[in-house]
Amino acid sequence: MGQQTFKRSIDSVADIYRFSEDIMTAAEIDESVRFPIHLAMEELFVNLVSYNPGARQTIVIDVQVANKGVVVTIIDHDAAEFDVTRERPVDTGASLRERKPGGLGLHLIQHMVDTLEYDYRDGRSKIRFSKEPETHDV
Amino acid sequence: MFEIDYAETGEIICSGRLDAAQSARAEAFLGRLDASHTLDFERLEYISSAGLAILLKTQKRLSGSGAAIKIINVNKHIYDIFRYSGFNAIFEIETL
Repeated sequence: MGQQTFKRSIDSVADIYRFSEDIMTAAEIDESVRFPIHLAMEELFVNLVSYNPGARQTIVIDVQVANKGVVVTIIDHDAAEFDVTRERPVDTGASLRERKPGGLGLHLIQHMVDTLEYDYRDGRSKIRFSKEPETHDV
Repeated sequence: MFEIDYAETGEIICSGRLDAAQSARAEAFLGRLDASHTLDFERLEYISSAGLAILLKTQKRLSGSGAAIKIINVNKHIYDIFRYSGFNAIFEIETL
């Protein structure tokens, strides 16, 4: 479990991966949880950086593990309002000719994490998401 | 780290993590393709939407000349992403 601040740069993606992977490996978190957690962290961080290029403050990421599940909180004190929980439909059945590259990040997150919360006030955004291990009938 | 290169058999081997920071490397390589190719994902651990966008862009460009990318040895987690993205309908995909 831990918290770290990251520079607002796409290059921080590798550092975010190492930070969270170390925590989840130490806690023996299953790959079925680690993969969507890494995906959601990258997509949300990249959104914060890409859609608010004038911002300068670092972004805080907090990772907590409990009962083999993971809860991540991302806090940006220099954020533009952008509700990541709002549904953004992607026509995944469109033909190759109709498909346009981009726009899949939030669509994927909304399918792959168990919970996703967003709070914005006074320029500060707080995004929290969680993932529990997949359960299988025996 | 992400690596992409030709195997001796002519397939294109992708390995590591294809994330937003590495997508430019994938785009530089795949942007040079002008014929059908097979991408081997056996050693690819992770892909995000940035990588998906490069794959889609390449497939759209190649389709103009009747060519296509085929992707083989896709792990379960990456296949889930392909499925949620509808990529299983626009790429020929073989799972591990």
